[in-house]
Amino acid sequence: MLQIVNSDARWVRWLTFMSSLLLGAAIWEIVGWNFNPAIMAPLIGGDGHPGAAPRLVRFLFADEEFRDSFLGSVKLFGMGFGIAVATAVPLGILLARMTMLRVAVESYILALYATPMVALIPFILAILGYDYWPKVLVVVLFSFFPILYNTLEGARSVKPELLEVARSFKASELSLWRDLYIPYTLPFALTGIRQATGRALVGMIAAEFFLSTSGLGKEIVVASRNFDMAAVLATIILITALGVMLMRGVEAIEKRYAAWRGIER
Amino acid sequence: MSGTQVQSALAPGAIERGATRVLGWAADVGIGPKVLAGLAILTVWQIGVGALAPPFVAKPLNIIAVMPGVLAGREFLMATYYTLSAVFQGLAIALIAGTVIGVAMGRVKIIDRLLNFYINGFYTMPMIAVLPLLTIWFGYEDKARLATVVFAAFFSIAINARDGARSVPPEFLEVARAYRSPAYLVWFDITLFSSLPYLIAGMRLAAGRALVGAVIAEFFVSLDGLGLYILAHTRTYQHNEAVVGVLMLAAFGLAFEGAMNKITRRYFPWYRRDARG
Repeated sequence: MLQIVNSDARWVRWLTFMSSLLLGAAIWEIVGWNFNPAIMAPLIGGDGHPGAAPRLVRFLFADEEFRDSFLGSVKLFGMGFGIAVATAVPLGILLARMTMLRVAVESYILALYATPMVALIPFILAILGYDYWPKVLVVVLFSFFPILYNTLEGARSVKPELLEVARSFKASELSLWRDLYIPYTLPFALTGIRQATGRALVGMIAAEFFLSTSGLGKEIVVASRNFDMAAVLATIILITALGVMLMRGVEAIEKRYAAWRGIER
Repeated sequence: MSGTQVQSALAPGAIERGATRVLGWAADVGIGPKVLAGLAILTVWQIGVGALAPPFVAKPLNIIAVMPGVLAGREFLMATYYTLSAVFQGLAIALIAGTVIGVAMGRVKIIDRLLNFYINGFYTMPMIAVLPLLTIWFGYEDKARLATVVFAAFFSIAINARDGARSVPPEFLEVARAYRSPAYLVWFDITLFSSLPYLIAGMRLAAGRALVGAVIAEFFVSLDGLGLYILAHTRTYQHNEAVVGVLMLAAFGLAFEGAMNKITRRYFPWYRRDARG
């Protein structure tokens, strides 16, 4: 018995995974039915105990308002994250090229990387107000520094031999970037981008909670004020699924280019 | 960065890793550029904000001016105490629970297969999305903050503990079996001990997340603490005072990170691995 459970055979792994899913769902269902619906909703649900799964289906396929919230959140995320990637990666490489500047500002970048960006949200609110762009700024702030830091670390570790060869062939700055720095730094930048996806997601919801409420953040706040647990849980599941998909996507790209890192791993 | 330099000076392999020459040169330059850049940033901040922004926005000189008063004030000290004690309590709970679950997952296959999906799923789940739920479950009081901190910290510790327990060299376990060591020795002396560096890496990650969790919970629930201190002072246009709160948070984050790095370098010098995050 123990041997079967511990074997690495494919069907055993598949079966244990499936039973873990079923077990989790069953526990959730039982807990949901035994609590007040204002405190906890079951997964499937039924009379008097609306479930999270049916609510999620309705949200996704039959609820215009929710779909707009969802798309608004995705747009906010895409805008902020896109700006962060588009500025942090070139800046990281540029700093690696300009040694003096890099030495000068590196510790400050590290300090900002370690600063909990949520603490800056009240300032953004007070100075920039309730517009759309302050929210984008929050997402940018959350995701910018992991990308910058990792890109910089990557671009800094370009092998000196490669640089020497490029220099002895009188490579221009442009081709130095195109043929050496950008390809060499890509895997490192992707590590930063992966770290940043999670943070940007937190930034997105934080912005939607604490600045002008909108999007999925608003859906959660409103639903929790109405003690509509099924809607809260359904939205949380959706956000988590979004995060997992984004993370997996970047991870897949990262793995593809990880071989370029050579001796680092 | 001095650590990198020491390492590269000791290990010949590190020289090939590049950047050493640049670093060596940078070491000659010393801290001059850093100080200069810091001063430049502060000057631009001071003048730029003074010229462009409304007068309530924080400026470096004003921050320095209010800092002694804030740091000596009872309100700020109590806020710091509330936040940090919640963070430490939460980290302690998360450390114990995360280690137990993580090590069990790392050593017992069936537990790993049953829990892995959930641990990874909750780890990816943005904790801020769960905050409204936690406030309903734990009420609008201290417990909600503690729950947020534990939720924020637990999963990264569990994941790292699992990785640590899986990375125990099999020879150690074989030797232990050959000498018929009792199970508790295998668990405490071998498994737990060799997962320690992983646990420290997990703690480092968890501390950052825990701090963010505490601050968000304070914003959301209006609990006394550094988060609320910052929020209340920005709302009443005392931004200089609020910035001191942000600096305190950043200082705690950096100090914790530094302490963990130091412990790793001092006691586990063989351990080099990118922390998961």
